[in-house]
Amino acid sequence: MEAEIKWLDDPEIFQVGRINAHSDHRFFVNDEEMGKGKTVLEQSLNGEWKFCYSVCAKERPADFYQDGYPDENFDRIMVPGHIELAGYDKIHYINTMYPWEGHYYRRPAYTLNGQKCWAGMFSEAAYNPVGSYVKEFDLNEGLLHRRVLICFEGVEQAMYLWLNGSFVGYAEDSFTPSEFDLTPFLKDKGNRLAVEVHKRSTAAFLEDQDFFRFFGIFRNVTLIAKPEIHVEDLWAKPELSEDGKGSLAVDMKLTMPEGTTGRAEISLTDKGGQMLLCHNLLLPGDRKPMPGQAEQKSGYREISGEMEAVDVGEVIPWDHQNPYLYLLLIKLYDETDRLIETVPYRIGFRRIEIKDKIILLNGRRLIINGVNRHEWSAESGRCIGLGEMKTDMQCFLRNNINAVRTCHYPDQIPWYYLCDENGIYMMSETNLESHGSWQKKGAAEPSWNVPGSLPQWRAAVLDRAESNFEYFKNHTSVLFWSLGNESFVGDDIEAMNQYFKDKKDGRLVHYEGVCCNRAYEDTVSDVESRMYAKPWEIKEYLENHPKKPYLLCEYMHDMGNSIGGMGSYIKLLDEFEMYHGGFIWDYIDQALWVWDEVTGKRVLHYGGDFDDRPADYEFSGNGIVFADRTEKPAMQEVKYYYGLHR
Amino acid sequence: MACTDNQGMQNGKLHVVYGDVTLGVHGERNGKRFSYLFSYATGGPESICIDGREWLYRSPRPTFWRATTDNDRGNGFPLRSGMWLSADLFIKCTGVQVRANGIELPLPCAPENNRYSEDERAETIEVTYTYETITSPQTEIFVSYQVSGDGEILIKVHYYGKKELPELPAFGLRMIMPTCADKYVYEGLSGETYPDRKAGGVKGVYEVQGLPVTPYLVPQDCGVHMDTEWLKVYRSTGLDNSQKEKKETALHFELNGLAFSCLPYTACELENATHMEELPPARRTVLCIYGAVRGVGGIDSWGSDVEEAYHVKGGDDISFSFRICVS
Repeated sequence: MEAEIKWLDDPEIFQVGRINAHSDHRFFVNDEEMGKGKTVLEQSLNGEWKFCYSVCAKERPADFYQDGYPDENFDRIMVPGHIELAGYDKIHYINTMYPWEGHYYRRPAYTLNGQKCWAGMFSEAAYNPVGSYVKEFDLNEGLLHRRVLICFEGVEQAMYLWLNGSFVGYAEDSFTPSEFDLTPFLKDKGNRLAVEVHKRSTAAFLEDQDFFRFFGIFRNVTLIAKPEIHVEDLWAKPELSEDGKGSLAVDMKLTMPEGTTGRAEISLTDKGGQMLLCHNLLLPGDRKPMPGQAEQKSGYREISGEMEAVDVGEVIPWDHQNPYLYLLLIKLYDETDRLIETVPYRIGFRRIEIKDKIILLNGRRLIINGVNRHEWSAESGRCIGLGEMKTDMQCFLRNNINAVRTCHYPDQIPWYYLCDENGIYMMSETNLESHGSWQKKGAAEPSWNVPGSLPQWRAAVLDRAESNFEYFKNHTSVLFWSLGNESFVGDDIEAMNQYFKDKKDGRLVHYEGVCCNRAYEDTVSDVESRMYAKPWEIKEYLENHPKKPYLLCEYMHDMGNSIGGMGSYIKLLDEFEMYHGGFIWDYIDQALWVWDEVTGKRVLHYGGDFDDRPADYEFSGNGIVFADRTEKPAMQEVKYYYGLHR
Repeated sequence: MACTDNQGMQNGKLHVVYGDVTLGVHGERNGKRFSYLFSYATGGPESICIDGREWLYRSPRPTFWRATTDNDRGNGFPLRSGMWLSADLFIKCTGVQVRANGIELPLPCAPENNRYSEDERAETIEVTYTYETITSPQTEIFVSYQVSGDGEILIKVHYYGKKELPELPAFGLRMIMPTCADKYVYEGLSGETYPDRKAGGVKGVYEVQGLPVTPYLVPQDCGVHMDTEWLKVYRSTGLDNSQKEKKETALHFELNGLAFSCLPYTACELENATHMEELPPARRTVLCIYGAVRGVGGIDSWGSDVEEAYHVKGGDDISFSFRICVS
């Protein structure tokens, strides 16, 4: 297959050749590796890459992926990172408006009855920058002679991938991993990987988050080799009964060489090493692939491995106060009983439900002392590391914050693990925000809203929902799936809601935008979610035959010197059982360090400080911590009020 | 020289100098000389000098403005109340009254003061300044300084409300000191607090090094401390060329529950900057003692007002008092 530039313009093409989303479990070849948390199966491609910047697709070196292409004159760029922060394209902050506002007239494909032309909207635009990346690598020993995939954890906003001159795939969705099977194209040595990243595509209509608008490979790039027998997908389903007893079911998808047999050992141990469960699953030697599930590479087949619910007796429930996790261990053995793969996953037992219109966690009313968190660093934008995540987690714990909404896209994977370990309740949000398509100067005007009810946009948003679910389904901390933010409501978002409900994982589905059109009230969102509702408006809802439990997905807008009057919200927790609290907007100021020639000092700049127009200026800074992660003075207020209901 | 001109005085008695343009009040307490000059020209006290340290850069003035917060701008507060910004910048002193031992004197400036001598004494001296705002409608503010024998100054401030006047961001008295403070210490609430954001403030005695400006992306009002019992501002520098050695001295305020902020900038200087780096080099200490402070709000930053209970109404009188002590 050949790559086509026109995919940028077509909302129905958002991936080509991408591996299906699956659980984010890690895997090791033996117990020793597992103990160290490091495996020979992974090879990071982070670091210096060759790079060429072009202002638009027409000017890009279109054949740069070909073997023998003379790329000696390419620049060098660090991966991961934003191309703008490497100095190539203008840094731009804007809130609801699309970033091309006033520069380009664009209507999403198929809106307005399809009367507007969209061919070439992005692929032929005079300004739609392209980053052409090249990385040469030899395979590390641990990856040799295995099936190897490549994982791009985050590429903004559309990427084409080639290896050794062959087209591998295409992906949008900047904030979920995009994985591709490299096996057919790999050499042991002298591989040449080519990635072409486009700043805008139809994904831009769905990714209009209120943040700095960047592009590039901004999260890790890793080669991952699969052991001969491999857990492709794991869905652990721990359940907590009302009498405190736990049960666990496990669904797996595995691949293994055709014609071989093996076994899977599934065990569960507590922190003291006591085994609660040990279950053996035979992996039969059926030669026939499962219907419709043929593995791409011949020689391997995909099989299901299911363990039906097994009672494990009394368990310690997981919650914020005591985020107790058990170790689920899956060990795969081949037919000679040699250990091939080990998959550890720490899971907790907890029960989230709505009873009598009240959200209960483990039978107790859930109180959300939450905050919205963008991934941000004043040094490197949305390219952050484990250090920032740990700092943020410590800040949460220090200040009685018990919940986080991953506004408005999935975060890096380690953050979900940190939330499991530290008892932080997660609202895991799908990468979707299209407020520029219906919010005009603060008023609702949805004449060309996407995704709306447009069938041509449905698959793209469903894919985003699926990525959110599949990658994070095993995280105990995820209590809510969120469909996205400020994208209005229509049949497509309704279909996303249904997607999550069909999973029957007990979690609640959240979407605020349904308040724009109450016709979808019964089919979208398990909770009445609002943003910036005034205390008396909340009261009004809750005193007038409320249909759903109430939470604030955004409140207490901490722009500059703010967080006054928080007590009026916290008081509602005592007045209304159906009020569950909310998520402060937001965690960290979005501003960037720049060198100020006048003072000779490093200073923080915000929207509009880069000659970026139109901009929303200091609206980029609403954090309870400053951009350098020091706490704002208002934090003591947050800590006090969030300490009252724990 | 005024600071040392107190020869022949008895302890606890004020030596009063009825000058042509200023009224000098001098004394000593616990070995510390104090010397105050109340001007008929500048519309306020011109010198508060204790133990050789001058504490006034310019005469204190009523203050009506705070650098707008993001929430203030978002909800249109400055569009409704902007006249208080000009009132803060420009104010007319319309009258001065002097009382000695509680009895009002015919204003003792030249030539009325020809009847006094070098050896004038009093138990108390009270100087009251009347100000007229440039708001529409205009209103009056009285600020009186009552000095007692131990050098303590009781400062009373009264704002006459007028119902046609818009809400105020704050009302207080602003005192600018000639150089930056090294630190300040106060007994009150921890951190930066406002009327609608002080539940998390913990009572205690706090020392704040330097004159920190909270680095909000856009400089704005900051550093307010509600519910303060007392405050000491420490300086070790002055503008007096003859004072070579650095000696840290403190000015002590008894605030009895008032709010204050102590920053290196005026509201206007903060208001004018769109980034921290645009603020001028810190040179002074700007101490504002507030009788009323508007809340900061937080519902949103694009329209919602601060909760009703935390507004400062232009129509209501505001009265407060505090003391400067020679300790």
